[in-house]
Amino acid sequence: MESLPASFIGMGLAATGLGGAGIGLGYMFGKAIEAFARQPSAEGQLSKYVWIGAAFVEAIALYGLVLAFIIMGKG
Amino acid sequence: MNFSFVAEAYAETAQTVATTAPKMDPLHHFQVINYLKITPFGFDMSISNSVLWMWIVVGVVYGLFRLAMRNPTLVPGRLQSVAEAGYLFVQGMIHDIIGPSGKKFFPAIFTLFFFVLFSNWTGLIPGSFTVTSQLIVTGTLALIIFALSIVLGAYHHGWKFLGFFVPHGLPPALLPLMVPIEIISFLARPVSLSVRLFANMTAGHTVLGVLFFFTATLTWAVAWLPFGFTVVFTAMEIFIGFIQAYIFTILTCVYINDSIHMH
Amino acid sequence: MIASAYASAGASVEHAAASSGLPQFESSVFGSQIFWTVVSFALLMMLLNKYVLPTIGNILDSRSNRIAEDLQKAEHARKEGERLLTNYQGQMVAARQVAAQTLEEARQDSLRMRDQALVELNQEMAKKKNAALVEIEQAKNRAMEEVRTVAVELSMQVAEKLIAKSLTAEDANLMVQEALSQINENQTRLH
Repeated sequence: MESLPASFIGMGLAATGLGGAGIGLGYMFGKAIEAFARQPSAEGQLSKYVWIGAAFVEAIALYGLVLAFIIMGKG
Repeated sequence: MNFSFVAEAYAETAQTVATTAPKMDPLHHFQVINYLKITPFGFDMSISNSVLWMWIVVGVVYGLFRLAMRNPTLVPGRLQSVAEAGYLFVQGMIHDIIGPSGKKFFPAIFTLFFFVLFSNWTGLIPGSFTVTSQLIVTGTLALIIFALSIVLGAYHHGWKFLGFFVPHGLPPALLPLMVPIEIISFLARPVSLSVRLFANMTAGHTVLGVLFFFTATLTWAVAWLPFGFTVVFTAMEIFIGFIQAYIFTILTCVYINDSIHMH
Repeated sequence: MIASAYASAGASVEHAAASSGLPQFESSVFGSQIFWTVVSFALLMMLLNKYVLPTIGNILDSRSNRIAEDLQKAEHARKEGERLLTNYQGQMVAARQVAAQTLEEARQDSLRMRDQALVELNQEMAKKKNAALVEIEQAKNRAMEEVRTVAVELSMQVAEKLIAKSLTAEDANLMVQEALSQINENQTRLH
């Protein structure tokens, strides 16, 4: 297989990792909102962890992005 | 299989695009440019835009703190309150995670937090350079932290620190499986630590670059849309810059704590 | 070969690096950045540690000292207040006791006085009664004496009259009647 088109395919595949992060973020904020609805007084404490968690999940997606860039460099 | 026709077509298009239209190049501003080559004895200490902005970050952090504390009063003014809040924030983080034995790491962790934070933030100034978007910079910081955690573990526990890789209450039959996993996850720490920060900064600035490209090249009738997004995204980046600095610091605390107290 | 065609297209747009991946992965600039990262970090840490952190730490310490001092003072004042309150309450209790005692004494006094007055009254009454009884006795005696005198007189008169003239039975009867009525008259006069 020629390397350039293959690298484009690879980059696209690497970007699919974003889907997982999207699912994760959705779960997390959904659960967080559920928790806040049940226990509004805990919002202050919990939202801190929500944002930290969001940053972690987002970083997972960005690993895919970095992979895509690496493939781009090799192409 | 021969995909050459695709590539050829692409190359042709690229050529025409390159010659006729402005080229989108959102990665351009990550380019490190050496201003001054200094290589005494083959040791590279050239001054580049990245290095320049490191100095600016150092100057900004130090200058702001000096300005805030230029005549400290018992009842603080605004800037002094902010400086104290930062101090207490880092102190609280260390106290929560490491406990009282984390006190001697306070200057290092304080510096780390504000260095990363202001690197993230100064990078948002148009025309500036984001130091933390360089993998090698975050990688250097992460490796220093990693080395520190190993040294601390060896110092506090000696050979027993190798027990770090053996999870508690595990049936011995699973050890050959679990120990390599633990070792790999331990070795992955500096990688994930550095890549998380670098990738966040790179991705955010790339998105901003793309949006600004559209803003600059499209007609005004549609350019307001990407421009509005740049505004929103800049705010988002300010937030992410803080969160990532916080996470970088908090994970540093966690790693140091693991080394001191094991688990 | 195709890639090189693309590369040449890219190269014509002045940034060769852009077409070969992220600029961050270009290892030619790693050395200086590692060096300067370490140096910058160490410099910043040294500067902050020397000129900034002690200042903030001192001001925070002095503030917390001040607050602790103030708290201590407040605690002191509270204790003093409590002591005064206890003192005052003690005094109040003592005063109340004194008042109650005085009241009780007064009550006892008045009771005693009343009893005494009662006793005196009784005595007086008894004395008066006795005196009255004595007087009655005397009066009775005097009356008896008088009756006797009258009876003697009467009998003497009767005897005189008997002696003076012989009497018929009718006359005697009349005379007795007369005498009796006289006695009766005397008696009614006595009483």
